Amino acid sequence: MMHSIQRIALLLFILALLAAPAAAQDGTTITWSIEGINDVVSLDPAKASDAQGFTVIGLLHAGLVRLNADLLVEPDLAESWSISDDGLTYTFTLREGAAFSDGSPVTAEDVVWSLNHALDPNTGGWTGPYLLSNIAGSDEVVSGEADTLSGVQAVDARTVTITIKQPSAYFLSQLTFGPAKVVSKAAAEASADNLDQASVTSGAFAVQEWNRGQGLVLVPNANYWQPAAQVSRLNIVFNQDSETAYQRFRTGELDIMGGAQNPIPAARVPEVKDSPDFRTTNAFNLRYVAFNNQLAPFDDVRVRQAFAHAVDKVTLADVVLGGTVTAADRILPPGMPGSELPIEPLAFDPDRGKALLAEAGIDPAAFTLTLTYGVEGDNERVVTVLQSMWQENLGITVTLEPLELSTFSARLNDTYQDPANGLQAYYSVWGTIYPDPQYFLSQVLRTGVGNNNPHFSNAEFDALVDEADVIIGDFARRAQLYNQAEQIAVNEVGWLPLFNGQVNVLVRECVQGVAVTGLFSAYVIPDYSALRGCQ
Amino acid sequence: MSERRGGGFWGRLASNRLALAGLIVLVGLALAATFGPGLYGQSAVRLDYAAINSPPTAAHPLGTDSLGRDTLARLLLGLRVSLLVALYVEALNILLGVPLGLLAGYWGGAADFLVSRLADILFAFPGLLLAILVAAIFGPAVTERFGGIGRLLLVAGALSLVSWPLMARLVRSQTLVIREQEYVLAARAAGAGGGHILRQHLLPQIAGLVITSSTLNVAGVVVNEAVLSLLGLGIQPPDPSIGKMITDAIPYLERNALQVFLPSAALLLIVLAVSFLGDGLRDAFDPQTRR
Amino acid sequence: MLRLVLRRLASLPFVIVSVTFVTFIVGYLAPGDPILALMGNQRDPALYERLRDIYGLNRPWHEQYLSYLGGLLRGDFGLSYRFAQRPVLDLIRDGIGVSFALGLAALTLSVAVGVPAGIFAALRQNSAAERGLMALMLGLFAIPSFVLIPILQWANYQVYRAVGSALPAAGWGRPEHWVMPVLVLSAASLGYIARLTRANVLEVMRQDYVRTARAKGLRETRVRAAHILRNAALPIVTVIGPSVAFLVTGAFVVETLFAIPGVGFLSIQAVGQRDYPVIQGTTVLLALAVVAMNLVTDLLYMALDPRIRVDV
Repeated sequence: MMHSIQRIALLLFILALLAAPAAAQDGTTITWSIEGINDVVSLDPAKASDAQGFTVIGLLHAGLVRLNADLLVEPDLAESWSISDDGLTYTFTLREGAAFSDGSPVTAEDVVWSLNHALDPNTGGWTGPYLLSNIAGSDEVVSGEADTLSGVQAVDARTVTITIKQPSAYFLSQLTFGPAKVVSKAAAEASADNLDQASVTSGAFAVQEWNRGQGLVLVPNANYWQPAAQVSRLNIVFNQDSETAYQRFRTGELDIMGGAQNPIPAARVPEVKDSPDFRTTNAFNLRYVAFNNQLAPFDDVRVRQAFAHAVDKVTLADVVLGGTVTAADRILPPGMPGSELPIEPLAFDPDRGKALLAEAGIDPAAFTLTLTYGVEGDNERVVTVLQSMWQENLGITVTLEPLELSTFSARLNDTYQDPANGLQAYYSVWGTIYPDPQYFLSQVLRTGVGNNNPHFSNAEFDALVDEADVIIGDFARRAQLYNQAEQIAVNEVGWLPLFNGQVNVLVRECVQGVAVTGLFSAYVIPDYSALRGCQ
Repeated sequence: MSERRGGGFWGRLASNRLALAGLIVLVGLALAATFGPGLYGQSAVRLDYAAINSPPTAAHPLGTDSLGRDTLARLLLGLRVSLLVALYVEALNILLGVPLGLLAGYWGGAADFLVSRLADILFAFPGLLLAILVAAIFGPAVTERFGGIGRLLLVAGALSLVSWPLMARLVRSQTLVIREQEYVLAARAAGAGGGHILRQHLLPQIAGLVITSSTLNVAGVVVNEAVLSLLGLGIQPPDPSIGKMITDAIPYLERNALQVFLPSAALLLIVLAVSFLGDGLRDAFDPQTRR
Repeated sequence: MLRLVLRRLASLPFVIVSVTFVTFIVGYLAPGDPILALMGNQRDPALYERLRDIYGLNRPWHEQYLSYLGGLLRGDFGLSYRFAQRPVLDLIRDGIGVSFALGLAALTLSVAVGVPAGIFAALRQNSAAERGLMALMLGLFAIPSFVLIPILQWANYQVYRAVGSALPAAGWGRPEHWVMPVLVLSAASLGYIARLTRANVLEVMRQDYVRTARAKGLRETRVRAAHILRNAALPIVTVIGPSVAFLVTGAFVVETLFAIPGVGFLSIQAVGQRDYPVIQGTTVLLALAVVAMNLVTDLLYMALDPRIRVDV
């Protein structure tokens, strides 16, 4: 075995010497790997559908507002805005001289056109209708009754008003996200290809080249309002597999790799964690188990609690997953606004678990749980550990049901539509798109909402989040309410939180100006003019 | 070219030392797979948090995997799964591919048209989609009655429905040649029936090809089972298979190479043993090949 | 011969309609749909239904199939769901050249090495050299590509650490990008072709006419050249036929792990995403390739051995 490996190494060595030297490195080029996709589906902000696509779109297109490195909303194409007293009307003033990459001015008409385009289901995207549904008139556009959004109006060339249906503390956060980016109406109307290929951009970079299935070459957009980035080129490289990206990084080909959903492979963390290139932060995501609340015996809160008490999350996170994740006792990930308020967890206590099961009248020897999951990443290792812990600590039988990802999505949909014939329990993940507690509570655990697959229902929880969702300005008060709601969800095991991911990435030490955040797009470039590549 | 010794089929097989070695190894592996897990006693699914990715120790003679499971116990149980699946898939492959290939090659005409066009269609058909469908529709019921291995055999069976065409085309190509040979034409002219020609001339001559091809396929079956596992269609966790052990260990290749090496070596051993035995069988069918 | 070609061409519509129909039905019945796949774990029931309407997924199955078939007749392969309404033909055109070139390079290498290795092994049957060679071939054949690739990558990294330059770990475009993928792709088929060649040469060597030829006193080498190789080529030609088709769509592990923009990954991804038009597009492509290659192999049979008749 060793012999043949040495021979292979020798062979590769000879081939490497024969190979032409790599293209001369331009001193100010940054090569940036994006994992988990082999191509972006489109550069039209309204059509992108995954975190990776939105990472690229964030470099190309600007919105009215954007997030800074502290994840607070700051002006982008809009220099200022005001909110009406009832919290329903937002008036944005566009930056004087804001221009697209082709030099044409960014006008209110462009903003109106972009938002209409993003919410029109005929465009082919789903993130616009899904995330911007608070804009007045969105239901009519989504259902096809109206062609344009009544809630978005151009007052004059530099003024846009957006009316929303109900006051929302996180509406501005939603506007920082992909589908709300501004595209050039003139370019889009000239040719649909202009949108798909981002021939004209409103953000810090423009597209020089798109090699389908491989990557993009971006160049700074001199017309962006901020001083241009100090790099001559940004090479975006797609790697379906994170391990492939890691191989390319360690043979010197890449400057940046890893993301929130596709961090560097967990097995590789020990060998890079002391490297100056290694960066890590808590990801705003949560792996959890949910039990079907409408399927006996999980309609009994004691049974759900029994399972919660029987999981040793610290062993799972620190020993099995090698500390590449953080054990979670609550629903809000650490670092999320609102997570600074404490939560009383359901502690690891197998005896308590057994007692609760007995109280609920369950004979462990006769009880079989089927835990369903989509086959992806480390999922199988996690559920195998859960199976072992529950069997050992509760004395029940646990069967694992692995499903191909699309089958899993379909089964979740069935569970939502028809809980009586749905899954008994499943393991999944939730990550936030914008940094607001609402996305982790009201969006998933309020009675009847579209993402509430386990059919968790608690009137007090509903009342608390309903009140918190519409408070504007007073974040301390909102956080209080969400905290009480979260405590209920934890106590009643709406979800059984397991662990939070980490954004483990590699950024060459000499690359400057890139901040790593817990958001699902991971990277924020707070000031493009401070972006520097390696020499 | 002298006939070396008589002794019939088994005698000829026994005189081929490599084939004999292959047979002994295979029997040994089958015995290990059947009785090994019971005799060894260690659980193949118990997690040992204190010994994750451990090198060989007294408690774990071949080390452990990334969940601290005993590798020897998993190898023994994995052999059982992989050998069973390989045998089953190859049996289906031969049962479907050989008769259809003979039919197309010997009779030609409409039979050839139907079989060959069906083969074309199945060649192009995305078998993975069929596997997903079958697993979704029948999977839960089969799992309930026959366990995880039942579901695996179900999925593998569905894939066999679309994978026989290669075997059929191989048999067809050989049959096309043989049916035009002088001795076959002579036999036919002498009034020999289809059954006689099949037994006396066709089957012995295609046996070598069928054996070579299906023994080679064994490696493909073991590996494909692991690929199916990556889609949730293979062996039901936490149970092991040889292929699954390899895919599970691959991320840790540079830290715990032994865990990749052991199941890979088991796979290689199976392939070598099956191939050498196959060569021996082929020669034994056909005494004249030996010199 | 012309009649055979014409008959095969005439059967093409039958093959295409059958395979697209079966694929459609299986896809239609399989759980999940492209909208669910796109939305992942985010759900909005009203939006979901609306998008299904817009994409025509709520129409009766026969309407959906007939409209696809109608498009196909006009050369329209439909639009991808996953790739934001990009024409399927564009997606296939992007990748087909890469996959074909890569597959052909690998196949050429495996035939160029595998056939001579198999012939050598048959002529030197039971020698130590033969056994060593065949064990090596079996070894290459038995190592799965997902094991071979990380080992190569590790070795390549050791080279990089030692001399500061190495082969590119992945990617596409420059000649050196071909080295590792072609090595890995050809490893498995190399072993297969060598083993099959050996078995066939052995088979043919003992057949009557070889003995007859020998009896006639022809020189040994001419016997080998004239009879053995020509007849032993048959099953190899049979295997290579579908291999060409499969190298185009079957290289998805290699394409994935080396970030190569081919159609192999596209076809597997389409199944996972339930991207029906792309599934159908790659299936039709494969059907065309299979029918063409099977026709070529049948013609080769007749060229190799004039006694062989293939009528349909």
